Amino acid sequence: MNEEKSFEELQKELEDVVARLERGDVPVDDAIALFRRGEALYRACVERLQAAELRIEELTPERPAP
Amino acid sequence: MKVEPVLYGDRKVYTVSAFNRGISRFLGRLPAVWVEGEVTELRRNAAWATVFLTLKDPETGASLKVTIARATYDRLELGLVEGEAVHAAGRAELYELKGELGLRASTLERIGVGGHLVALERLKRLLAAEGLFAPERKRRLPRVPRAIGVLTGADAAARGDLLTTIERRFPAARAIVCETRVQGRGAPEAIVAGLQALAAHPEVDVVVLTRGGGSFEDLLPFSAEAVVRAVATCAVPVVSAVGHEQDTPLCDFAAAARAATPTAAAALVVPDERELRASLDACRRRLDLSVRNLVTRDAERLGRLNDRLRGAPRLLLERRRAALDHTAARLNALSPLATLARGYAIVRAGGEAVREAASVSAGDRLEVELAAGGLGARVEDVRP
Repeated sequence: MNEEKSFEELQKELEDVVARLERGDVPVDDAIALFRRGEALYRACVERLQAAELRIEELTPERPAP
Repeated sequence: MKVEPVLYGDRKVYTVSAFNRGISRFLGRLPAVWVEGEVTELRRNAAWATVFLTLKDPETGASLKVTIARATYDRLELGLVEGEAVHAAGRAELYELKGELGLRASTLERIGVGGHLVALERLKRLLAAEGLFAPERKRRLPRVPRAIGVLTGADAAARGDLLTTIERRFPAARAIVCETRVQGRGAPEAIVAGLQALAAHPEVDVVVLTRGGGSFEDLLPFSAEAVVRAVATCAVPVVSAVGHEQDTPLCDFAAAARAATPTAAAALVVPDERELRASLDACRRRLDLSVRNLVTRDAERLGRLNDRLRGAPRLLLERRRAALDHTAARLNALSPLATLARGYAIVRAGGEAVREAASVSAGDRLEVELAAGGLGARVEDVRP
């Protein structure tokens, strides 16, 4: 479910989850679901940082029509 | 005059003048063209009807003799000096006396910096008036792009600086590099095509346009109208890192952000991984802490409820007892024994309480009940 989201979106959602939990007006059942979501978001973010080196791909544009 | 050979038997032989004249006529059928070159060997003499100069191709050294009518030349007021680049419009011409090929120019135009500056300033005003450089048009750069498009010339330094810095700051980055012609003829078209190809890549979230320093002319393609428009309307934000600090090609104004160097551009397009990790970890800790606080708070609330639950029966009992005591007190107040205790007595005759004097007669026996004990008595007289 996180595949198509940008890192930025994931990080933003994580921050939102934390902020909601910190506000403390969440029923416990919801809080646990939120916590699990937060953990998953954190892992998704960290995974995106795992690659050890820059991937470089070359791209050759179509020649412009003459 | 017709060009006629002289016949030696069946061999046709042309005189030099006839040959030159024939070539000259042939050349005269060629169309007028523009030729670009650097001015050398400029000779103007007020006594001559013609100004002579030589145009040189700076790259190959090829040269071409050019003549132009002095009156025409003077009217142009170019004040040309040797080494300046010009465009000459004219036709090929043979100087028949010498058999020398040249260009007979009808006009000359300077293509040096001066003319460009005027044209650039005009274009800049035009595009600014159109709103292409307006701050509200500028798009925010993504903090962490999925892929970074890099449009660069075959310029090892700029490309290397950019990619090295990106990797150092954020190793998980992905760069899509499009190497293209960035100077000279066809460069604007190539840059536009490269920009579009990069923006069309499904993962590219930002494009860096980069090339190292160069001469004013070298950087001109980055001020070409087509390039500036392509940067302004690009599907993803563009970072312009063209030339050095002092260079401001027009694409700088249209770009979402301008970077003085490729290294600075790298810092704009990727976050610092260590900072990012630190902020993620801080988030993680807050996540744990917040949920722990929530659980603790709920546990305390539960504990208080439990206490109240356990205390409830005792409370109930106490309340009942108090109610009972109250009832007992009320009951006590109504008891005749209490009345007797205050000194009253119950008088009975034949087991019935005596309420009026007339119900008994003198000599009747009465039973008198006191708070403590009782008396037997007889009626002496009756006073109804």
